[in-house]
This record gives sequence, C-alpha cells and structure tokens, in this order.
Amino acid sequence: MEFLAFASFLALVIAWIALPVRTPAGEIEEQKAA
Amino acid sequence: MTPPTINTGDTSWLLMSTALVMLMTPGLGFFYGGLVGRKNVLSTILHSFLVLCLISVQWVLWGYTLAFGPDVGGVIGNLDWLGLRGVTTQPNPDYGATVPHQAFMAFQMMFAVITPALITGAFAERVRFKAFVLFTLLWATFVYDPIAHWVWGTGGWLRTLGALDFAGGTVVHVSSGVSALVAALLIGRRRTHSEPHDATMTVLGAALLWFGWFGFNAGSAIAAGELSTSAFVVTNTAAAMAALTFMTVSWIHRGQPSALGATIGAVAGLVAITPASGFVDVPASIIIGLGVGIFVYLAMQLRPRLKIDDALDVWACHGIGGTWGAIATGLFATTAINAAGQNGLFNGNPGQLAIQLIAVAATWVYAIVVTAVIVKVIDLTVGLRVREHEEALGLDASQHGEVAYQH
Repeated sequence: MEFLAFASFLALVIAWIALPVRTPAGEIEEQKAA
Repeated sequence: MTPPTINTGDTSWLLMSTALVMLMTPGLGFFYGGLVGRKNVLSTILHSFLVLCLISVQWVLWGYTLAFGPDVGGVIGNLDWLGLRGVTTQPNPDYGATVPHQAFMAFQMMFAVITPALITGAFAERVRFKAFVLFTLLWATFVYDPIAHWVWGTGGWLRTLGALDFAGGTVVHVSSGVSALVAALLIGRRRTHSEPHDATMTVLGAALLWFGWFGFNAGSAIAAGELSTSAFVVTNTAAAMAALTFMTVSWIHRGQPSALGATIGAVAGLVAITPASGFVDVPASIIIGLGVGIFVYLAMQLRPRLKIDDALDVWACHGIGGTWGAIATGLFATTAINAAGQNGLFNGNPGQLAIQLIAVAATWVYAIVVTAVIVKVIDLTVGLRVREHEEALGLDASQHGEVAYQH
C-alpha cells in the first residue's frame, strides 16, 4: 500500500511538470523550467 | 459493572467537534453560493442557513428518537425519546460511555442538519421556498432518520449486519447524493444556464468545510485519543490528495489546472474518507483520495449527457464520492487502526466488502424511492418550482424580496 501511495503522488508531480497549460487564446504554452 | 462516568477530555472534544460540524453548513452555503449566478446567491446561502434552523428543532422534537431511540425491528427508533424525554446529561453507554448523552445527541444533530443541506445544490436557482422547507422536513424524517438508525442506531439492521460507516458515507453522502439526482430529475432543468458568480466564495466555503470536517470525522470517535487522531490525519490526507488528483485530471482533460476543480476535489476527498476515517491507515487514505478525484471528475462529465440538471453536482460529489468511500472501507479497513472495526478485503476479509456493497445498495434504493415520493407529493400540493418569470428574476428577489449585491 505504501508503494502505491508513493507512486500515485509521484505520478501527479510528474504530470504537473509534463503537462502544458492551454492559454486563453487556445494555444499551448510549453511549461518552461524555472 | 461500574456505572459510566463522564470524561472531561472526551466531552470537550465532542462539544468542540459539534461546533466544527455546525460551521460546515453555512460553509456549504458559501461553497454553493459561489457556484450559482449572482441573482440566486442569497437564496442559495439561505437554504443552508435555514436547514440549520429547521433540523435543529426537528431533531430535538422527533428526529433524534427516530434515528437513535430504542429499536423497532431494526428499521427505526421508537418514540420513547420524543422531545428528548430521557435524553439526559448522563452518558448512554450504547452511544458514548464517557460523554453526556445530550452531547452525543447534539453532535449527531449537526450531521442531520448538513445532510439535507447538501441536497439543496441539486435544485438551486429554481425551487420554491415553500417546497424547500417542506422537502427538508419530510426528507429528514423519512429518509435521513431511518437510514441513520439502520447504520448507527443500536439494533439497526445494517449495524447488526456489520456495515462500517465511521462518520456517514452512506448515512450522509450516499443518501443525499442519490436523493439530489432524483430531486434534480423531477424538478426539471433550469431555463437558463448560469456560470459560477464568485469562485472566491466557493474557495472560502470549501476551506470552511475542510476545517469543519475535522469535527465530522475525528469527532466521530466520540472520544479524544488515538482513534480521533488517526481519523484527523487520514481526513486531511485524503482531502489533499483528492484536490491534487481532481485538479490534475481536469488539467489533462481541459488543458488548465482549475481552481474550482481543486476545491471540488478537496470536498470529494473529504466525502470519500468519511466512512473510512476510523478504519484505514494513511497510505490507504492517499489511494482513497486518488480514486475519488478520478471518479468524481468522470461522474461530473456525465451530467450533460444525463440531461439531469443537478445544478451543483451533488450526485457526482456526494453520491459517487460516498459510494466509493463506502466500498473503499470494505477494501482497506484494518483492525490495526480500530480494534472495534473489521478488516477489509486487502486485509484478508472479503466478506466485509460484500457487507459494504449491501449497505450502499440499500441506501441507494431506499433514498431514490422515498425521495421520489416526497418530491412528487410536494409538487402536487404546494408546487415544486417557481414560475418562469420568477426564475428569470432570480430567487433572491422573487422569493425573498432581497438581493445579495446592490451594484
């Protein structure tokens, strides 16, 4: 269970890094590294 | 056998939890209020506020005895405690051996209050005020009180069967969620679609709900100690994980991380952990939060397809979230957390999952049938829905002669 818990949270973190954000104009703006 | 004695620590925590749960209902009003159009915000907030008033009186007069009074056939309490006769400041060992019986009664009152308030989100922006008042009293009496007795009352048939519901997954959330769907179906769709008029109000409401939920779940231990602490921690964890999950799923689906999505996800997480909060450990609460974030988001996508205008997604959040929570309790429960509970499927007891499914199914069926009857009766007597021009004007002005904002 602990492994699943860690893995699911890690999956969310990876998703936030990887996901693009759609701008109001409908374009896809790639996330830039801070 | 030594007579039960009052523990001041337990009593303090229970009274504080009662106050925390009380705050949830006006908090719900803000949560819902931000999601409706500006011409209906006052009526929406008022619905929650007035449920607090209506059920506070209903509960002490006849609600408590129906839900927790001496058992009649496993389905309802008798009328021995009508008007709180015999409900004293001494402990009742059946419900709390270390706290005054009246403290337990007051704590349960706040659960009875918030449950019909949850349903108001389904018929927001079009229900007649009279219909709302009548619905609240009838629904509390004929749906909430019996189901509370089945699950929590001494001798209740689901309690006897062994169903686990620590703080109201079936009693509060499944019952209100499926009833909301029925109410929304029978009252019909809004004539015009309205957008959330104040997302910040909804965030505030969600924060108040989250805060109050510590009383809801950790208070359900009816004692201050290890179990209440565990319930507190898993409650917070599941809410956080569900908020993050819902936000992420909406981001994948719609391209942006939604602020409202995060708050709705948090509430969904709180719903799902409710039945499980006294029976599961922290890793399980993360999985429960993850699951509900996905399931509730998917359920919300069904609304346009179902053609049922459950205005504020009560069915998705509470019906589906509560159902998942009740089932998850049957999956993840462990006696390592609560020796008075049971193990779930993943701890070697598949029978518990079957019992949880029976509890969920019984709640769905009973709530759907009785709510449909109540709504039909109200429609045929006082009328369920405002007239077209009143709906266009908004419920604040048409039902109450007031408006939320002057500018």
